Amino acid sequence: MDIAFASETLMSLLSALPLTLELAVTAIALGSVVALALALARLSGILVLDWFARAYVFVFRGTPLLVQIFLIYYGLSQFAAVRHSIFWPILREPYWCAVLALMLNTAAYASEIIRGGLLSVPHGQVEAARACGMPRFMIFRRIVMPLAIRQALPGYGNEMISMVKATSLASIITLMEITGVAARIISESYRVIEVFVVAGAIYLAINFLLTRLIAFIEYRLTPHQRQPLAIHGELKGEAH
Amino acid sequence: MNSPGFLDIVSFGPDGWGHVLAAGAWMTILIALAGIAIGSVIGTFGAWAKISGGPVPRAIAEAYTTILRGIPDLLVIYLFYFGGSAVVTAVGQFFGAEGFVSFPGFVAGALAVGVTSGAQQTEVFRGAFRAVHPGELEAATACGMGRVLRFRRITAPLTLRHALPGLGNVWQVVLKESALVSVTGVVELLRQAQIGAGSTSLPFDFYFVAAMIYLAISTVSGAFLNASEHWFSRGVRRG
Amino acid sequence: MNIPAKSTSPVAIGLRDLHKRFGPLEVLKGISLDASEGEVISILGSSGSGKSTLLRCINMLEVPDSGTIAVAGETIRLRTASSGKSRPADQRQVDRIRSELGMVFQSFNLWSHKTVLENVIEAPIHVLKRPRSEAIEEAEALLGKVGIADKRNHYPAHLSGGQQQRAAIARALAMRPKAMLFDEPTSALDPELVGEVLRVMRGLAEEGRTMLVVTHEMGFARDVSSRVIFLHKGAIEEEGAPHEVFTNSKSERFRQFISK
Ligand SMILES: Nc1ncnc2c1ncn2[C@@H]1O[C@H](COP(=O)(O)OP(=O)(O)O)[C@@H](O)[C@H]1O
Ligand SMILES: [Mg+2]
Repeated sequence: MDIAFASETLMSLLSALPLTLELAVTAIALGSVVALALALARLSGILVLDWFARAYVFVFRGTPLLVQIFLIYYGLSQFAAVRHSIFWPILREPYWCAVLALMLNTAAYASEIIRGGLLSVPHGQVEAARACGMPRFMIFRRIVMPLAIRQALPGYGNEMISMVKATSLASIITLMEITGVAARIISESYRVIEVFVVAGAIYLAINFLLTRLIAFIEYRLTPHQRQPLAIHGELKGEAH
Repeated sequence: MNSPGFLDIVSFGPDGWGHVLAAGAWMTILIALAGIAIGSVIGTFGAWAKISGGPVPRAIAEAYTTILRGIPDLLVIYLFYFGGSAVVTAVGQFFGAEGFVSFPGFVAGALAVGVTSGAQQTEVFRGAFRAVHPGELEAATACGMGRVLRFRRITAPLTLRHALPGLGNVWQVVLKESALVSVTGVVELLRQAQIGAGSTSLPFDFYFVAAMIYLAISTVSGAFLNASEHWFSRGVRRG
Repeated sequence: MNIPAKSTSPVAIGLRDLHKRFGPLEVLKGISLDASEGEVISILGSSGSGKSTLLRCINMLEVPDSGTIAVAGETIRLRTASSGKSRPADQRQVDRIRSELGMVFQSFNLWSHKTVLENVIEAPIHVLKRPRSEAIEEAEALLGKVGIADKRNHYPAHLSGGQQQRAAIARALAMRPKAMLFDEPTSALDPELVGEVLRVMRGLAEEGRTMLVVTHEMGFARDVSSRVIFLHKGAIEEEGAPHEVFTNSKSERFRQFISK
């Protein structure tokens, strides 16, 4: 392998790293809010909300992400009402269209993961909280959510990795994130293997760090599954 | 540019886009089928390497699944499309052809989808094999079945039955991933919708119809897979 | 029960000085045993004494480190692999000898993707290359004999444990085996289902089949078998006709074992 070319490629691709990360972080963060709302809608017991969430998940999981991106980026501009609305400055930007599509897409997958986590919370522990006189919202915030997050974390981690990979599709609507830059370098230089190896290594590094981060959070969140280290220091008060 | 309406897109009449969209959908299915077939061969070898291969095959299989889990599918498609073209061009120049020769997008796409789904199928098959009751394999050995006969009559059918739910998931993933192959210019469903969107002023309608067709394909094939899973798993204990 | 005279019947299974170790653990410490044709030998011993390992060595599910195994006079050839482990010299010979021995497992091990009938005809058709129609005919007769003819099109998961074990016995019989190996065939069964399996086994013993039975059923060992072998820590601690060993055994350990 040509070291000079490889390091040049590495520098070009690294300059696109912030955009990739920005897309992933924004989509995951916003998507988690939508996902939580969808999961709660599924579990609300209110038929309309339940069915809306079901239909949403069905549609977004049943169609390719690229179609969703095209629908938002190219499709919405078909309507004059959209073009004249206050949202147009956002919806004409490929960046925001990509974020929107990624966010809506991850929300569908993540809502199922969160729902699974919420359903896994043992009923007895909720009842115990109720018996203590905790109000509903406090039970949700103090008991249900922490337990559900611990349960859902591994699945959510996989979904985050999927999202990092999915940001590559933004290149198809002109955003020069890592894959976009890689494709440009390939079409200029025809040196497929080198560019692929460097770009692939960057994605692998991101996802490796993400995996470690999630494993670390999981470790921190599950002290009860660890070997008891020391008997003292048990009553240190608030853990989180 | 004439301005057709939504009904023209779904119509099979002379001015309608129904035929070409159906042809695109058929191409999507073909890419997905080719990809999953290639992936099942890779997955079989990958699972074999992980279960009973020596240290070298196992390390290769481990590296393969780890890498494919971590890099975008689109990058893999570019690798096969541009890489394949580079190889074909080099071969062409060797035989005296001039300039750039393009690699068939369908082949590149099917290979790329195959390689990515192969990593998933490796894990599916490995998990399925581990779910097989070891005693059932031992009983086959005790009857005097040789390696090949035992694999063909007992190990493979049992593993496949345990793999069916996972393979169903891989199929759904592959179906969606096939949309990325549109970047190579293969006229599958999404590419056809793009062509329609470009030659009319109805991008939303075209992408919407494409989305609905994807949804229909995945729903119908999902129902079919569920039914066959049910049928093939008669008697097979789970968990 | 009549006890066949050892000198007249030919030897069905002959074991000479079998040794087997798993890592540091020596599980079989030199076992020698001749099972004459028509003999029913009960192998007793506490858990971990090496009973299963002994049985599994006979059809090479475990390969002994040293010693010889002969089935119907044919010695299984072993070689020493480059790793120092003992290996069969000829896999085809092993496969053939396996097809001449019927094995019944504690956990039945019926093939879950096949119906009861398919389980029984599988090996006769594909290993012994018998014609399908003949195999089916024989299988149906065997299923009738073990009393589950009406279950032939059921999947194993839909049968009771006792029915599954009887199907497994029919599967073993379908190989027309020269000897049968039973590894605790009733230990995984609910108590009320043990009787139906033992009745089938008693019937086989009365037919004059050669059987090696690892069991904890003292009634079976005492009343059905022609010989009892008591294993302790991988060695034969006591051996003899049941009426002898059950009444006056010299082994303190065996007396303790049967008094439990
Ligand atoms: N495959 C194996 N690997 C390691 N140890 C084994 C294996 N099979 C059996 N053993 C050990 O050998 C000893 C005898 O086992 P086994 O023959 O199954 O005894 P039994 O059937 O009399 O209960 C036990 O201590 C058991 O743990
Ligand atoms: Mg045992």
